[in-house]
Parts: sequence; structure tokens; C-alpha cells
Amino acid sequence: MATVRRVLPPGVVSTVIALLVWQLIGSFGPLAGDSFATATEAIAALVEFAGQSMFWTAVWETLQMAVIGFVVSVVVAVPVGILIGLSRFSYRSTKFTFDFLKVIPPIVVIPIAILVIGPNLTMGIALVIFANVFAIAIQTAYGVRDADPVLLETMRCYRMSLAQQIRYARLPSAAVQISIALRIAVAASIVVAVVSGLVGGAGGLGSLLALTQSSGNADQTYAIILLLGILGIAVSRLIVRAQRRIVFWSGR
Amino acid sequence: MKALQRFWRWVLAVLIAGWLPVVLVAWWWNASADSQDPFFPPLETIWEQFKVNWLFANVGIHLVPSMQNLFLGFAIAVSVGISLGVLIGASESASRYVEPIIDFFRAIPGVALVPVFILLLGLDSTMRTASIAFAATMPILIATIEGVRSTNAVLLDTAQVFSLTRPQVLFRVRLPNAMPIVFAGLQVAFQIAFIVTVASEYLGSGFGLGAFTLISSDSFMIVDAWTGVLLLGLLGYALSLLFDLVERLSLRWYYGQKKLA
Repeated sequence: MATVRRVLPPGVVSTVIALLVWQLIGSFGPLAGDSFATATEAIAALVEFAGQSMFWTAVWETLQMAVIGFVVSVVVAVPVGILIGLSRFSYRSTKFTFDFLKVIPPIVVIPIAILVIGPNLTMGIALVIFANVFAIAIQTAYGVRDADPVLLETMRCYRMSLAQQIRYARLPSAAVQISIALRIAVAASIVVAVVSGLVGGAGGLGSLLALTQSSGNADQTYAIILLLGILGIAVSRLIVRAQRRIVFWSGR
Repeated sequence: MKALQRFWRWVLAVLIAGWLPVVLVAWWWNASADSQDPFFPPLETIWEQFKVNWLFANVGIHLVPSMQNLFLGFAIAVSVGISLGVLIGASESASRYVEPIIDFFRAIPGVALVPVFILLLGLDSTMRTASIAFAATMPILIATIEGVRSTNAVLLDTAQVFSLTRPQVLFRVRLPNAMPIVFAGLQVAFQIAFIVTVASEYLGSGFGLGAFTLISSDSFMIVDAWTGVLLLGLLGYALSLLFDLVERLSLRWYYGQKKLA
């Protein structure tokens, strides 16, 4: 048993067991039938998808919406957040408004976005921006304000300029908060890109998912869900790794 | 004297936080006043229609079913998530085996699971409640496992010295200790539950605030669609305030403890 444990990490064991259980439920249980796909059926459908260019277009469209939306959010929100965070008045004036807009889920504005922009990639990008921009700005501003007061006092004692204070105290403190905000934003961008396709018809994997479900093809529906899960895990692993390298002074 | 000072400070804080939203709404009201753009009707028109729709004529048919699904689904998620989480988190090896599976389910957007539940259960409100419950369970489960596992070693040793039984350790040491982390999970779960509620109404046809809004939009009843979006947005914010309040009340002991430390 000990050697088995050394050779097989728990993750592999439980994944195999989960796949077996999935297969058995789909084959024998009350769920067996056309509306439930077994593990083998879903994996087969995923492999079949991999040979179709329409599938790769969908993946590409979803990534496009997520990446462009994310980049625009960061480029807009980080400078705005830094500016807001530099003064106590501007921070406290904008906090309520930004918090309010941050809490509203982008899915809520989809009916208006469909009318104003139309069901296309641009709408997906706009929704990704709406989902991220307020959260990143508010977190950045918080980081700027959160700089160590003793450090700032010391810098003032040494007559360091405002620019130097920003460069050496405010920004490093903001960077830790920004990296937290970005980690959340990356995951949110992919989710929103998928959801705009699924609910708003923006294209990509979401729209493909809506299509497979409405045509009753359970195998393909489960294949896309499987892919989304794997994609999500891969992305979150990548982010944790990148964060450790980039913001190495955050103490984690 | 002190109370008066505190009162003025509070007024000042409200003024500082409040001027921007007031300016924005006033700007929207004026800029849209003679709008001919069919997609951006005057805010005044939207407000008039809002009063007709939601004060309180259609509340019973559209809002109440949405809230029922939301709270029922969330309640199921809380009970399943916390009880499973405590069971799994109490055992070191169990959590190591189960975590990859939970990670996988958490990585799937909750909204993306709605089509799966539509295939399984059809379009009625069972499907909606099930989607909400499933999507909201994941963050609660993860937080509970994490919270129960992260109990301070000194506390556990102390419990052992006083020879507490296993259930006693679980319910009187591990679980209270996990509560702050569990609440963080509950908050995420509640947001997800709200999103999935709306999504399940967009995708499944018929009742609910989400369905009303999307159908209005699809049939170019643009003012109605705006009122729906406005109500959903306000609702999202109000529910998050409500959640903060509940958290503050239930974790009073914890914030008190943190202040002392």
C-alpha cells in the first residue's frame, strides 16, 4: 500500500475513481439515457471536437474575448486606480460608486448589451471589461492608500519628492493588491466570455454549449463542460505560478 | 458633545461618498431627457415604467419566484456544503483525495452547468433550484474544508489535554474556528447563486425576473428591459448588503476577538 501511495499521488487515484463512478452512474443508474453522457462518451465527443475547425474557432473566440477584455480592463483600471488612490478625498468619493458597480454581475446587463451592441464578440469584450474594471480600480486604489505610513513619514523626513514616494512606497504596496485583483480578474474574464456566448449569443464556447444543449446532444454538452473544467484548473495553476514570480515581495 | 461630533463626521462621510452617484444619475437624467435613440430612452420614461412594473404590480409573478429559487437553492447549498465539508475536512487523507475533484467542479463556471441541468431536468423550477444549489455548493464546500483543517494546533492540543471527545472537538473547536473562512465561502456562493438564478431564467423559458428582462429585450420592449436591468442591478447590490449585515451579526465574537488581539 505504501509503495502504491508513493507511485500514485492522491489526485490521480481520486480522478480515476471519479471517472469510474461517472461511467457507472451513466451506464446503470436511473440517469442512464440520452440526457446523460458517460465519461467515455464525453471524452470521445471531446476527441471528435478536436478534429473539427469549428470547435477551434469557438475556443479561439472565447480566448479572444477574455484576453482583449482583460487587457483593456487592466490598462484602464490600474492608472485610474492609482490616481484615485493618491488622494484621500478622491478615494472616499469614488469608493461607494465603484463598489456598487462592482457588485452588479455582468450577466444582469446582457439584455441591454444585446440591444445596444448586438450579439457579437464586441459585446463579449464589453461585458468582460464591465466585470473587471471597477474591481481592479478599487483594489489598486486601496493598495496605493495602504502603503506603510511609517515608510511614508520617513520618506517625507528625508524630503523625498512625491514622485519618489509614489515609486518606492505607493506602487510596491499597490502591486500586491493589483496582483490579487488580477488573479481574480483572469478567472472572471474566462467565465464572463463563456457566459456572454451562452446567454447573449456572443459566440465562442458558450454559444457552442447553448447549441449542443438545444439540439439535445448530451455527449457534446458534457465534452464542453469537461473542457471548461480542465481549462479553468490549468489557468488557475498558471496564475499562481506567475504570481509567485512577479510579486515575490508579497510574502507568500 | 462627542455624539454631535460623531454625527457631523458621519454626515461628512455620507456627503463625500454620495456626491458622485448623485451627479451621475442627474447627468443621466438630463442627458437622456430628449433622447430619440430607441436604445437609450429618457431615464424619466424608464422610471415611470419602473413604477408601473415593480411598485408592485409584477412583483408577485416575476420577482417572488426568482427569490424563492435563489433562497431555496442557497439553503440547500449551505446545508450540503457545510456538512460535507466538515466530514471531509475532519480527515486529512480524505481531503487530499477529494480536493482535486472539487477543484475541477469549481473551475467550471456555474452558469455553464445550467445546460447540463436543462438536459437532465427540463425547464421547470426544479432545474433552476438544482443549478443554483450545485453551483453554490462548491465554494462553501471548499471554504469549510479549508476552515476545519486550518484549526490552530495549540487549540487542538488544549482540547486533547482536556480530553474532549471527537464530536466535541469537531463541534466546539473546529467548527467555530472555521466560521470566518466559511463565511468568506458563503459570500462567494451567494453571488454565484444570484448569477445562476438570473442565468437559469434567461436560458429556461417562462417565469422570473431574468426571463422577463430578456424577453422584453428580445421583443424590443426596450423600456421594460431597462426597468428589469435596473431592478436586477439594485437587487444584486441590496442582497450583497444584506449578506454583509448577516455576516457582521453572526461573526460578532470574531471581530471582537480581532480587536482585542
